[in-house]
Amino acid sequence: MGKEGTRAAREMAAYGTNVLAGVAPGKGGQQTEEGLPIYESVIDACAAHPEITASLIVVPGQFVGSAVTDALDAGIRLVNILSEQVPLIDVARIIEHAREKGARIVGPSSVGIMSPGKAKIGSIGSGGTAERVFTPGPVGVISKSGGMTAELSRILTTAGIGQSTAVGIGGDPLIGSDFLDIALLFEGDLETKALVIFGEVGGVYEEQLAEAIADCRITKPVIALIAGVFAETLPSETPLGHAGAIIQGNRGSASSKIAALKAAGAQIAQTPEDIPVFLKNVL
Amino acid sequence: MRLVEHEGKELLRAAGIPVPVSELIRPGEDVSLPYPFLLKSQVPASNRLRKGGISKVADAADFARARESLFATPVDGYLPERLLAEAFIDAAQELYVSFSYEGASRGPVLALSAKGGTGVGAAMVISVSILRGLTREAASAALAQTGITHDLSDVLVRLWNLFVEQKLALLEVNPLFVLPDGSVVAGDAKVVTDPAVTKDGERPFLALGGDIAVIASGGGASMLTIDLLMRAGGKPANYVEYSGNPPATVVEELTVRVLSTPGLRGAWIVGGTANFTDTYETMSGFLAGLRRIVPKPTYPIVVRRDGPRLEEARTLLEQVAKEEDFNITVFGPEASMAESAETLLERMNAYVDTR
Repeated sequence: MGKEGTRAAREMAAYGTNVLAGVAPGKGGQQTEEGLPIYESVIDACAAHPEITASLIVVPGQFVGSAVTDALDAGIRLVNILSEQVPLIDVARIIEHAREKGARIVGPSSVGIMSPGKAKIGSIGSGGTAERVFTPGPVGVISKSGGMTAELSRILTTAGIGQSTAVGIGGDPLIGSDFLDIALLFEGDLETKALVIFGEVGGVYEEQLAEAIADCRITKPVIALIAGVFAETLPSETPLGHAGAIIQGNRGSASSKIAALKAAGAQIAQTPEDIPVFLKNVL
Repeated sequence: MRLVEHEGKELLRAAGIPVPVSELIRPGEDVSLPYPFLLKSQVPASNRLRKGGISKVADAADFARARESLFATPVDGYLPERLLAEAFIDAAQELYVSFSYEGASRGPVLALSAKGGTGVGAAMVISVSILRGLTREAASAALAQTGITHDLSDVLVRLWNLFVEQKLALLEVNPLFVLPDGSVVAGDAKVVTDPAVTKDGERPFLALGGDIAVIASGGGASMLTIDLLMRAGGKPANYVEYSGNPPATVVEELTVRVLSTPGLRGAWIVGGTANFTDTYETMSGFLAGLRRIVPKPTYPIVVRRDGPRLEEARTLLEQVAKEEDFNITVFGPEASMAESAETLLERMNAYVDTR
């Protein structure tokens, strides 16, 4: 495995995730320093460890399509892609493949998935930050931004409000799971009482969540913070901090997302610090 | 990256899509095409006709005037290096065709309209399976649904193959001329490559005109911080961000670029709670960049950061500020992003440049 993959595996295991195997083509039969066995493919790894249910992808962007195809063919149900710079065509292919298999992809460009006190996948809460930032509790966090996943969770933790799970869905134009996909999982989760989302200019994923709130597919309270209002003064098609954060006329602007979510009944936070104040009224 | 028209048309020609007879010229060069023809500014901009980037040329005097004017006219801030002189096409119909990726369906889509050209009519958007590709049958059905009576399924399949083989982010032909005999000619080509494929993605750097340099960490946090700063009454000089866990040198070069903006009165080095960014490494890079700025910045600098190695980063920043006499205030998570912006504005109000 590469440096990033080895580090992620070590950090995940240290947090309590049951990490069973690594995969690195050409290194099958070796072990990591921590004694984690390495296989040539996920198919090989699953043959040796049939209890594997999830796979974290940490390979350079151009190899993600191949790595995810291997994981899906091995029957993996949850694939989390940490890698960035994945070609659009490859993302489209693996999303369609996962859909046919009934598997779930989170990412690309996902910081990971954290269920505080239970397990984590990805690089979320690394470098000794996990215990300080994340605590167990009733709030589901969904964010396009990895940094804001942690910033918002830390603000909640400081306010005495824990998280059921925090999910970085990534800020790419095409992603395996969007706000609504994850919100539907939280809707069915008994531990989760309210949702916090961090969205940003570009695309329609926030608007799709707003529609689901409006037609009562999502009934738990939603508090949203949407970034990139400033971008409305910039020329159309200006690229911003994430690949998906592109202004295209009025479509996908921060203001249109805020208006859609507000009209659907979500509460709109102006700053991260508004969020625990709103949450205390609904929890 | 967006290709200019003639580059896009080269791809179309190679894919078997007819394009008009044309010549590419530099300033002062002549054209051997018969009049009338179109003279088109080769800049990566949309709606060039409306923005003065396309002229119809009727004779030699017309050509000389149009050539001079087009080379001198920026379109969306771009001055052309070349003009494309292109035969004028007398079309029976102008269509709109594009292939791109759409978030809502999370895959490729064909957009098709029977009314192309400037002021495209509402396009019909049809999902295409990336695993199965665009079949001739699906292309024919899409044309019929759009009310296009010519059998252009072969053209659509060729365009789809080009889109997939070149791994493009967008392939748009607007207008696609349909001639009276039913054959087609591509009137324009808008081709956007995928930076993940071409690996020419650049870190966004936008000048915003204000007096506060902003160096933000994280794609999402960076957009939020500009919103927060503007809401607090601050005027950002720029938008820029670094993501992931970059080496110090990346942040150093970014710092030099941002702090070289003239007229700065403050700087905000800001980020949320990092998951895996080594804050000591990145703040070392910031300080290395700061030391290279001439004249030495004396204006207030507020750092607000959290994440791995925060305490080491904080100690380093405070030590360097003291020993090398920089006006730096450091916050960890004890101050919110918004509070740190307000602190910066207060310090800027109190700051007098004594030089």
